[in-house]
Amino acid sequence: MDPRAITAEPQARRPDTVPGLGRSLDSQEMVINMGPQHPSTHGVLRLELVVDGEIVVDVIPHIGYLHRCFEKHCEHMTSYQQVIPYADRLDYVAAMSNELGYVVGVERLLGIKVPERVEYIRVIMAEFSRIVSHLIAIGTYGMDIGAFTPFLYCMRDREHVLDIFERTCGARLLYNYMWVGGLSHDVPPDFQESVRRFCRYFKPNVKELNDLLSYNKIFVERTANVGVLPAAVAVNYAVSGPALRGSGVHWDLRRDDPYSIYDRFEFDIPVGLGLKGTVGDCWDRYMVRVHEMEQSVRIIEQAVEQLPPGDVQSAIPKRIRPNAGELYARTETPKGELGYYIVSDGTASPFRVKVKAPSFVNLSALPAMCRGAMISDVVAILGSIDIVLGEVDR
Amino acid sequence: MTNPATESAPDGAREPIKQAAAPTAAGKPAATGSTPTPGVSLAPQVRRKDLTFLQRIYIPEIVKGMVLTIKQVFRPKFTRQYPEERWDPPPSFRGRPVLVEENGVERCVACGLCARVCPALAIEMQAAETPLEKERYPERFEINMLRCIFCGFCEEACPEEAIVMSDEYELVFRNTEDAIYGKDKLLMSTDRLKTRLEFLRKAR
Repeated sequence: MDPRAITAEPQARRPDTVPGLGRSLDSQEMVINMGPQHPSTHGVLRLELVVDGEIVVDVIPHIGYLHRCFEKHCEHMTSYQQVIPYADRLDYVAAMSNELGYVVGVERLLGIKVPERVEYIRVIMAEFSRIVSHLIAIGTYGMDIGAFTPFLYCMRDREHVLDIFERTCGARLLYNYMWVGGLSHDVPPDFQESVRRFCRYFKPNVKELNDLLSYNKIFVERTANVGVLPAAVAVNYAVSGPALRGSGVHWDLRRDDPYSIYDRFEFDIPVGLGLKGTVGDCWDRYMVRVHEMEQSVRIIEQAVEQLPPGDVQSAIPKRIRPNAGELYARTETPKGELGYYIVSDGTASPFRVKVKAPSFVNLSALPAMCRGAMISDVVAILGSIDIVLGEVDR
Repeated sequence: MTNPATESAPDGAREPIKQAAAPTAAGKPAATGSTPTPGVSLAPQVRRKDLTFLQRIYIPEIVKGMVLTIKQVFRPKFTRQYPEERWDPPPSFRGRPVLVEENGVERCVACGLCARVCPALAIEMQAAETPLEKERYPERFEINMLRCIFCGFCEEACPEEAIVMSDEYELVFRNTEDAIYGKDKLLMSTDRLKTRLEFLRKAR
């Protein structure tokens, strides 16, 4: 099937006439391949750009270069637990969030309740994961646009979080930390202090980032009014996460469909306001991420103060054998709504695991955003929806 | 793109993009796109130059940026000169999995739990009998380091604390055969693994 056939809007055509001349020029559209080895596609994504001169007529994303058969792998595991290291590898810059979604799903399927301490640590880790993911999104976005320095600063801040992760669970990127019913390790004794230290350190850095990048004239010129995604279009494409909130839609699963213990914390849901241009432009999507990092710090600060004592492994079941049934568990990851549809047939391993990946869904809205933009804006638009190819291709 | 007219920015620094069909302030005629699709304008979006005089001469902007970056010079250095400056992982670190060697013999009894629990199917072993007290030992024990994903499930599953994650993080192979680690490369004495074994005992 022609992939263009599935795009929602009919294709735009180049102008027939040239103003001032009043007659048509004999020109034709050109197809350019962007990627899969393009630094701004953030991975192995190929975009087929149909261009009319410098203007993009259509964008056709070609995906699948990083396909690892995640869903089929899940069916061939010897236990539910073994899926967790692979769930890490979906959105590999925010692995904790992926684990949280999966374990929440399996725990609901089993009908077990995890100890309070576990819930609090999970929330802290998932929010740290959000900060890490957004730092990478912001840093690499600046680099796409041409600002190199913020990238280095973001990676430096990210390193502090990774140090906390490493001291807690022994890995810096792919943690295998949240297990069904508990955690693989308890946090180190100085955990609370190091979290507080990070929060103190990080808050001024957000301001510095704003001075350096967010309100930078060149950056605003490149992102404001570019790639506008109106709220109605965003909803129609089932866009979720910062890309949806950037369009001004108040929708966050942490508040609207609370899982774990998110209903106990106070936090705001930042949405795009169109401060520098139109609601739903690249700058709005970018700024939602900056504000979300601040809100994550708020959640972490509340959670770390309330962190109760206890055992993190007491509720881990000896054998994970849910009754036959099915369940859809969705969580708000840094990229958007991550859903696991888990089908159990009563054996020790899942019968089927379907992943609804936010990056994949958000990527489908890319053509709608790119039509009519310049070629160089495609980089800005793609960076602003923040896809991770590990999750797009699974 | 459709840009529904929006209110101008609060700081007044920027106005929304003019619809491309309208002639720009410079008097240059902009391209009129005849668009069959409503909502999609193919005409280039001409942006109005709205830089103030101070912004146009650049110097204050450059100074502002430089102040921000020069401050970094006086902050503590964050990077490490890696091959010269070594990094010591914390005891929680999950490096490459090794077999614990105690009194010259491995602790492993070749029960096969680690091979069963390994999500990546990286572990392979062949059990044999031994006159020692443990009765069974692995005649052949191989971890394919190309498959290993460092999840630590083998360490978690082992009833004898015989396979643990070491603190070694440098893994270099010249070819695929080298990447399959046999017992010669996997065995590591308890002295070297002291911190990790202590950490595990405390954590469990």
